[in-house]
Amino acid sequence: MLGAAGAALVLVAAMPEALHACPVCFDRDDEARIAFLATTGLLTLLPLGMVVGTGVWLRRRARELRGDEGGGGEARD
Amino acid sequence: MAARASIIPFRPRPQRGEKLISNGVLGMLLFVFVEIMLFAGFISAFVIIKSRAVGSVWPPPNQPRLPFEETAVNTAALITSGIVLLIAHRMYQRGKESVGVLLAVATLLGGAFVWLQGAEWLALIREGLTMTSSTYGSLFYTIIGAHAAHAVAAICVLVWAWVRMMGGKLSREAMSTVSLFWYFVVLVWPFLYFQVYL
Repeated sequence: MLGAAGAALVLVAAMPEALHACPVCFDRDDEARIAFLATTGLLTLLPLGMVVGTGVWLRRRARELRGDEGGGGEARD
Repeated sequence: MAARASIIPFRPRPQRGEKLISNGVLGMLLFVFVEIMLFAGFISAFVIIKSRAVGSVWPPPNQPRLPFEETAVNTAALITSGIVLLIAHRMYQRGKESVGVLLAVATLLGGAFVWLQGAEWLALIREGLTMTSSTYGSLFYTIIGAHAAHAVAAICVLVWAWVRMMGGKLSREAMSTVSLFWYFVVLVWPFLYFQVYL
């Protein structure tokens, strides 16, 4: 995995012109560049945020349930 | 060979704890996540196409403007519907069974939203904004149409829930599942409204 990433890095460093194909990094129009960056950020972070948010919510809910059961007087584990 | 007598000690079956999340809600949550990504993709496509409009003119010339003010009424109806359903949902979770009227009001407000949207679409088509008239038209009908399809599906589910509730057969889990779908339809709309209509 790391080897492949290193090879990709070397390849990119060897051919810097190829990077111009990236519309996020090189667009003459400021508005378009900001739009690309913003939507890339949105589509990258949104699923991560949803997964992490659900995880946090489930953890909190599990604690609440455990707290309710613990309040019943019986010690668990 | 002597048969070995094995004694299986009696162990009480461990009690199954309360579920963190019901199957229905989990399924709906996953579905909603997928749909959120669908609409995020739509919004991204819209923002990028808008940013690359010829001469930075958006909406394109010779295309009708979207009725921002009139759609504010639809938006208000939809948001009110969401609030009414939230109240009904919370009451139902607390054990109050008589929330049929609130559920019906939420459904009717949702129906009003879809009906008003339909009327707006007819007016726009008459003015010349169609799927094939421009990128603007195709984006508008795709994004807003996808939302309308979700709204119609959610209204059907709300009607189903209301019928079950009237028959005293609607479980709390089912109410949560149905409500989650409608909350999604309500909450995604302001993003579409401010992005597409403004």
